[in-house]
Amino acid sequence: MGSYIAKRLLLTIPLLIVISLITFLLINLSPLDPAVVVLQAQDVPQITDELIAQTNEALGFNQPFLVRYMDWMAAVVQFDFGYSYVSGESVWSLIGPALLNTLKLTLVSSVFIILLSIGLGVLCALNEGKLLDQSVRGVSFFLTAMPSYWLAAILIWYFSVKLDLLPTSGMDSYRSYILPVLVITVSYTGIYFRTVRSAMLSNMNEDYVLYARASGISERKVMLHILRNSLQVAVSIFCMAIPIVLGSTVVIENVFAWPGLGRLSVKSILSRDFPIIQAYVLILAVTFVLFNMLSDMINAALNPRLRKEI
Amino acid sequence: MVRKRRTFIRVITLVAVIAMVSGCAQNAAKENTRAASVNSEVNNEIIYASAKDINDMNPHLYTGSMPAQGMMYESLVENTAEGIKPLLAESWDISKDGKTYTFHLRKGVKFHDGEPFNAEAVKQNIEAVQANAEKHAWIKLSTKLKDVKVKDEYTVELDLSDAYYPTLVELSMTRPYVFISPKDFKNGGTKDGVNGFHGTGPYKLTGHKVEENATFEANTEYWGGEPAIQKITAKVLPAGETTYLALQKGEINFVFTDDRGADSIDVEAMDQLAASGEYQVVRSDAMNTAMIVANSSKQNSPVHEKAVREALWIGIDRETISKDIFNGTQTAANTLFSSNVNYANVDLNVRTYDPEEAKRLLDQAGWTLAEGKTVRAKNGQPLVMKLYYDSNSSSQKMQAEFIQYAMKEIGMELDLTGEESSSIANRRATGEYDLLFNQTWGLAYDPQSTIAAFTSDSAYKHTTSGIAEADELYRKIDQVMSSTDDDSTTELHHGESRKALYADILNIVHDEAVFIPLTNGRVTVVAPTRLQGITFKQTQYELPFEKMKFE
Repeated sequence: MGSYIAKRLLLTIPLLIVISLITFLLINLSPLDPAVVVLQAQDVPQITDELIAQTNEALGFNQPFLVRYMDWMAAVVQFDFGYSYVSGESVWSLIGPALLNTLKLTLVSSVFIILLSIGLGVLCALNEGKLLDQSVRGVSFFLTAMPSYWLAAILIWYFSVKLDLLPTSGMDSYRSYILPVLVITVSYTGIYFRTVRSAMLSNMNEDYVLYARASGISERKVMLHILRNSLQVAVSIFCMAIPIVLGSTVVIENVFAWPGLGRLSVKSILSRDFPIIQAYVLILAVTFVLFNMLSDMINAALNPRLRKEI
Repeated sequence: MVRKRRTFIRVITLVAVIAMVSGCAQNAAKENTRAASVNSEVNNEIIYASAKDINDMNPHLYTGSMPAQGMMYESLVENTAEGIKPLLAESWDISKDGKTYTFHLRKGVKFHDGEPFNAEAVKQNIEAVQANAEKHAWIKLSTKLKDVKVKDEYTVELDLSDAYYPTLVELSMTRPYVFISPKDFKNGGTKDGVNGFHGTGPYKLTGHKVEENATFEANTEYWGGEPAIQKITAKVLPAGETTYLALQKGEINFVFTDDRGADSIDVEAMDQLAASGEYQVVRSDAMNTAMIVANSSKQNSPVHEKAVREALWIGIDRETISKDIFNGTQTAANTLFSSNVNYANVDLNVRTYDPEEAKRLLDQAGWTLAEGKTVRAKNGQPLVMKLYYDSNSSSQKMQAEFIQYAMKEIGMELDLTGEESSSIANRRATGEYDLLFNQTWGLAYDPQSTIAAFTSDSAYKHTTSGIAEADELYRKIDQVMSSTDDDSTTELHHGESRKALYADILNIVHDEAVFIPLTNGRVTVVAPTRLQGITFKQTQYELPFEKMKFE
């Protein structure tokens, strides 16, 4: 298992280098003079040629692309992502708290998504074609189809303004989590419980189930076997769900004024605060790679056959 | 057996879900009764929504929120509707040659950290600004300020390289010539950041959670008297639905037009809030002019021709824009500056909406409509231009589409492109545009800031340099900026008064139709009905919170 993990880790390094190079390249392809971008990000009302020259000099934009990339990479390896063009604060001091806030929201939501997806998926598989199955699928189809910002606005209006039960937005107490988590859970559970359901159903028709039943193994144990085998598919999907939710909370964060990564990234993109954008893309890429690896590892633990394939 | 288990699972799941939901609801309800009562107790507090964080409150740089800086920091003088008035300086003398300004400072003023405000603090602050002069190039005073001398504890002298009449106006602006406690300086200055944000203003910053909120509390030792509103909170909320719902719930109780001229809720939402009786909507006088800027220097584009620009001007029905896009909250503008702008009360020939006249102008200029065509052409070149608008402004997009349709009727084709504001600013600087949306700097800054920008490469140089009288225009701008006498009617060198010079400048750009006005923008405030004393300054970037109080 140890060497398996080590191999996987080594394989991610070239991947991350390619991702960071592409990000850096794309940003540098921007037709604007980087110094002008910085000065505009700082809202300097009038940009003079002297100021552009000064800024180019100060920030090292005069150097060739590869030199700048190597410098950036060398710093990043030491967790130094540079400084925001806009505020001059270190990128890490801006991204750190935002990442934490988004992680909180993502993890709480993911727990609900996973629990509900497995619960509903199993429930529907066991009641395949019956009224319960059909109604759960129908309702989830309806909920998933709703745009999340719209659902969020309705929920805020009903629970916060009309019933006066919850805050409309912000991140003040655990009560602030209820509505955003609800919206995220509703949007994603509808997708993921179907995966669990269909995995359960396909497993239920496998030979080993028939064999187990024929051997007189208790139905409860049979079900546990089916669940365990179905979860393999589900695990990889759930593991990808977390970074997906992490990367797509921006809509929810905007509606609920959640001070998270999504809002920070959009703000940075609009003001072309490149050091933050670069760090954001890299962090997201790392998260995807890590969770992908995590899913492989969990599956490897669940199914020893997979460990030999690498 | 199997059936029993299934029922069991079903029941368990159901119970779990119900327990979870009701548990949350109960807790929430309990907490909430507390929150609600707290909310009703807060009756001496303004909580306003802002789409952006207040950011860096360093008053000598440009990323901070201007309304917030306006509460915390003060300048030497104040720009009011009646002209320049004392603020931190009680009085001032200007030398005959216009190069020396001597300020007599208000005594007993303290920064929020207790440090005294005196001549030394003024000198240090102004020098800190000048140490970063390149960033302040837009404010011409920064290029003319030579020396700051401390005469005595409360007297300070500014020496200019040459006479510059808007000196006092530029000293009155929200930034950069405002004062922060020298104790907050980093490395002896402010350009690399500051260690604290202590101004002399009516409010002090007492808390800042990045991207969440900022709190300001009344400065009990404020020299102008302690403000009535004890606490102001700026809450970061996305514009639109969330802000509207938070206003309805009472989590926030105040919104106003931001420094980019955008309102966080639309006119319809404002009307609904006002109809509820809980809120009032207060609008300022015209503060600035929203306009389309035409790139006269773009040689190969139809926009280079005056007739085309004029046709565009008179082909736009401003009354309909005002009525249907702004519900009457912005009024139609027929000149670059509204007549309440200094020196701008000039007689200019009014171009009324007249699409037939627009067609005639184009015909006359050789832009003719061939049989079966919808777009006019001249020597094979079609009458097509690109119009850029700010993609974050829903009203600009609507106006652009409205104008595009109107121009189609007269045989002119406009290609619309929505871009972010920084990209539009870049186009303005590089000249890569035919037409783009822009706005004037606003009452406190005009006419001199917008007019000075006519000559600036990063602003309106491309807009103005293609017109026939460009050289004369620039010469007159030079003259008017260096004219020494404060009395606008006195004859200056070349025998022209400042008033006459401004009149000439405005006449030239009006005749050439390079700045095509659309509407006059206002600042709109939505506030609780029982909030009194809502007034406006001469700038769209600040509000005098210290004058407000709850009845």
